[in-house]
Amino acid sequence: MIELLHEWLIAPFDYGFMRRAAVAGLALSLAAPPIGVFLMLRGMSLIGDAMAHAILPGVALGFLLAGFSLPAMSLGGVLSGLLVAMLAGSVSQMTGHREDSAMASFFLISLAAGVMLVSLGGSSVDLTHVLFGSILAVNTTALLLIAAISSVIVFTLALIFRALVVECLDPLFLRGQGMQGGLVHGVFLGLVVLNLTAGFQTLGTLMAVGLMMLPATTARFWSKRLEGLIGTAILLAMLASTGGLLLSYHLNIPSGPGIILLAGLGYMLSALFGRHHSLLAKLRRRAAPLGSPEPL
Amino acid sequence: MSETQSSRLELRDLQLAQANRTVLEHVNGSFRDGAITALVGANGAGKSTLIQGIMGMLRPVAGKVVCSVPKERRAWLPQQLALDLTFPMSVEELVMTGSWPSHGALTGYCARHYRRGREVMARLGISHLAHRPLGELSGGQRQRALIGRTLMQEAELLLLDEPFANVDVETVEVLMTVLHEMADNGTTIIVVLHDMEQLARLAEEVVVLHQGHARWTTAQAVLHSQPTAAESARLALGMPGVGA
Repeated sequence: MIELLHEWLIAPFDYGFMRRAAVAGLALSLAAPPIGVFLMLRGMSLIGDAMAHAILPGVALGFLLAGFSLPAMSLGGVLSGLLVAMLAGSVSQMTGHREDSAMASFFLISLAAGVMLVSLGGSSVDLTHVLFGSILAVNTTALLLIAAISSVIVFTLALIFRALVVECLDPLFLRGQGMQGGLVHGVFLGLVVLNLTAGFQTLGTLMAVGLMMLPATTARFWSKRLEGLIGTAILLAMLASTGGLLLSYHLNIPSGPGIILLAGLGYMLSALFGRHHSLLAKLRRRAAPLGSPEPL
Repeated sequence: MSETQSSRLELRDLQLAQANRTVLEHVNGSFRDGAITALVGANGAGKSTLIQGIMGMLRPVAGKVVCSVPKERRAWLPQQLALDLTFPMSVEELVMTGSWPSHGALTGYCARHYRRGREVMARLGISHLAHRPLGELSGGQRQRALIGRTLMQEAELLLLDEPFANVDVETVEVLMTVLHEMADNGTTIIVVLHDMEQLARLAEEVVVLHQGHARWTTAQAVLHSQPTAAESARLALGMPGVGA
């Protein structure tokens, strides 16, 4: 029994690439879920998706200019992500259209531009790699970059945490204090972009959002408090990334989809059996009788 | 408006506009320190616009707002709908955010803050709700928690937009007492009101907004004597006039 467990859970990490992949996944699992929780609470769950497309042209450009260099691709990704966020923000401010329509337009343009750029310079194998990542190919440079970005995110989030909470709950209170709500919002969007660039190497640009959003939306079924949501989401992300990695090793499936599908399974199970708002909770909750005597 | 008493908030020939349409113009007057001033006027007369102007969220087209109260001591309680009630936050946490503007964004709360937070909640009768999420509160309980935040903030200027709308009778009583106490301690309070009875119980001074102009008068005048002032206030409140 113990041997079996060892063979399933421990032995795979004898390999260096598995150890690096596990650490990368854990680092991402610390940084991404809190961002996802805030995105979800602000009703911006789909913005993460939009931003994931927005970093693609930059990543592709970095790939074209410097080959398969993670720093170059990440830098490109951050720049194009920020550019799209700023463009969408200013278009919506100038025209008075809602920000999500501007964002939708720009992310579609970005996606097309990104795919075009990759196919100009590389093969379809490269495209698959950029789109879906490969956690098993994380080298030491990539690992350091991922860990550094994750640390920056966690630190910055701690710094703006209170402002972010107040801005979510009651933006007018923040504005009343002369704080630029826009500044907090901007820094936060910057963190979203940073996080996605850290994630694309391992999960790919499209699936990096998964580790951000799925644990957050799953946590909603287990906690009603902000600390609880963030804690649960981080725990779920860690379980999913390590578990997905092991699955991909044993079953020989791609690691990115493995991780995200495992997180997705967690989401669906929680929707059925979670503590709050789940199907089971709905069925179980029945109004308690008042216990007052019947009127005569 | 009295010129002899001190005032931390003064409006000088203020003109305010919403979406390029002038809502108020030539507004001149000051708010006495430690007084409760009611802001009355029909729908669309510019009550919320004036409040936004005073809070500095709406840039004046002309004239200016002269306010010597520091930003962290200015509090604004908008109509309740502005709050995101699905946000997972407890009553205590909401009250504690009041200490945030003066306390700074980085330092944690210490025991002194928690003690004050508990005092504030006890004063408003919401101690038993401290750990209840905001989404599960009634309108009145929520309003008490929000007033708790302004108490925590030690506001010197407090602007309230229809604080008694959708609020139970008992809460109205508690809030009236607390607001009077705050005013006695020197807080300048400006409150948008629709109800004449509440106005009579709460306010000493009244600013009537009517057809783009503001006019300072007293609660006494609105309620009893001076038929002209009373008339315009009644008109502004959308009530049937005495002689009209």
